[in-house]
Amino acid sequence: MLVLKGIPASPGVAIGPAVLLPGEEVTVSKHYILLEDVEGELQKFYHALQKTVEELDQCSRKVNATLGAEYASLLDTHKLILQDPALKDAVLHKIQTEYIAARSAISLTLTELAANFDKIEDPFFKERRNDLFDAGKRLLANLEGNKRDFLASIKKPSLLVAHDLFPSDTINLQENQVLGFCTDLGGKTSHTALLAQSLNIPAVVGLSTASKDVANGDIIIIDGENGLLVINPDRYTLANYRQIKREIKKTESLLKTINHLPVVTKDGRRVHLYVNYDPRTDNKYNKTLITDGLGLLRTEFLFMNTPHPPTEEDQYKMYLAVAKRFDMRPATIRLADLGADKMPDFPLDELDEDDNPFMGCRGVRLLLKNPELLHTQLRAIIRTACEVPAQIQLLIPMVSSVEEVRHVRAAFQQTLQEIEQSGKKPLNKIALGAMIEVPSAAIALDGMINELDFISIGTNDLIQYLVAVDRVNPEVAHMYDPCHPAVGRTIHNIIQTAHKRGKHVSICGEIASDSKMLPLLLGWEVDGLSVTPRMYLRVKNNIRHLNFEHCSDLAQAVLLMGSSAEIRKLVEENNYEDS
Amino acid sequence: MIEQNLQISNRLGLHARPAALIAQTAAKFQSDISLTKDQITINAKSIMGVMMLAAEFGSSVCLKVQGADEQAAFEALKKIFDDKFNEEF
Repeated sequence: MLVLKGIPASPGVAIGPAVLLPGEEVTVSKHYILLEDVEGELQKFYHALQKTVEELDQCSRKVNATLGAEYASLLDTHKLILQDPALKDAVLHKIQTEYIAARSAISLTLTELAANFDKIEDPFFKERRNDLFDAGKRLLANLEGNKRDFLASIKKPSLLVAHDLFPSDTINLQENQVLGFCTDLGGKTSHTALLAQSLNIPAVVGLSTASKDVANGDIIIIDGENGLLVINPDRYTLANYRQIKREIKKTESLLKTINHLPVVTKDGRRVHLYVNYDPRTDNKYNKTLITDGLGLLRTEFLFMNTPHPPTEEDQYKMYLAVAKRFDMRPATIRLADLGADKMPDFPLDELDEDDNPFMGCRGVRLLLKNPELLHTQLRAIIRTACEVPAQIQLLIPMVSSVEEVRHVRAAFQQTLQEIEQSGKKPLNKIALGAMIEVPSAAIALDGMINELDFISIGTNDLIQYLVAVDRVNPEVAHMYDPCHPAVGRTIHNIIQTAHKRGKHVSICGEIASDSKMLPLLLGWEVDGLSVTPRMYLRVKNNIRHLNFEHCSDLAQAVLLMGSSAEIRKLVEENNYEDS
Repeated sequence: MIEQNLQISNRLGLHARPAALIAQTAAKFQSDISLTKDQITINAKSIMGVMMLAAEFGSSVCLKVQGADEQAAFEALKKIFDDKFNEEF
């Protein structure tokens, strides 16, 4: 048994015999031809080019009908690449004047052009070389004849293993008995990863050596949940994954039936379930989800990879588009949580290199030192609230003292007046809340809760600061522990303090979608949870199967426990998803 | 010849889709059309050329158009830059 770790590209688990996609290597070997063969090789090239363009046209129409125009435009890009004078001229030149065979001429040209892409430093642009190779390999396949029909020839249910797959390949997968796929290459921004998600078959990418480690016919497991590939699993692992697969299947069929149902426990306690929404990774599935509102819109991405801060107009347009999606429901926009691992490229005031960035100038601290950034973002958010009926909620990141809340509120009031003087007014009162993710804010919450309309517990950072463990550091990562007694007691205290003043508490962070922790969070009487679209219905289903009174008992018991081991044992015994 | 600096004002920069739009538009005209950034000049009718500029948000590129239909070509290309390549933000 061999287990490889990659990047989960599409959720689910697939088990079955492996089929290896024969490589269409772009080689650098030069194959020469005779003068009299030049015409024939040129014809071969033109013929393959025409056939590939036609294929892409067909594919693009099919994709347009099934996956939408956005995906179809990817294929149109490939068509343009093939028709690019740079490619065509170079290939023709090689055949006509260097007497290189069409196949080698295309390979060499692709390699040369790809080298130009490799020089680019920005990873986003660098990955565009894959577009070139996808288009190029299609061309090579057509030159050879019918090599591409390999995928269509898969006649029994199998799992596809490939060095790399391209959008044009993945489109053929579902109808060809392929139950899942995995690749050596592929990053989070690759087109293949994006397409895999919309295809609904499990996929893992970025496995480095999968195509070398797997032989045809090996039994493999593609674990798209955790990004694992298991080759020739032992009996225990196989049984375990079969169980997981059954669970997922059961849940998935349940999911279709519960989208329109309310989020309540078995005994009728209402829990608000919000979605973390990222406009960059929107898809059809997200649009069909019925939610209680937007629990967290992260705005950092607007500030990253750009030489200038985003303008008020840019931000306004984005917030407006997002808020419209949530009609009259709450829409929580978090002020930019910049700093630490999210440092913009443009210069900021009073910001030197931090030795310890997670303890340094980030979140609200950075915003207060750069009042222009704060002001622009506040204006964009308030203007959004003047246009849409959604209940806009403004969330302050990394609050550690009440003064910070007061400063932001003062800036907010001033900006609001400014906008009201120009004759506009928010359709609904904008709520102002704080992320509670720093222990000092959690412990002394009573001192600031009066100044806040709601709070959101950012558990990822809160746990990290509570147990003093950097999750990225492999030496200590295992000590990052949501079951630590301090974590539960802190969350419980936060909720109690907020409820004394009648303030709404929601939880975001991974803990919110952890089925083991869910009964505890409900038991401590959290009002809302915010989870990713992918986890949304699973969490909802879990909530609908829990009994609030039972959760309450569990949660009270945990508060009295003194070790992680005790707590973990209790939550594992009461995990609905595993029962 | 018409020459003007244009700013990239869509957030994702000249990635595949905007590059496709530029190359498609440029290919409709007879004129020679080039884009220059950081001393690299490429043929705007070549989608790969445009992508290789790796022009990110906020950077500027120099558009040069020369030929019989240069005025029309220039205006068509300037418009797609001004429209942020029809991207939302």
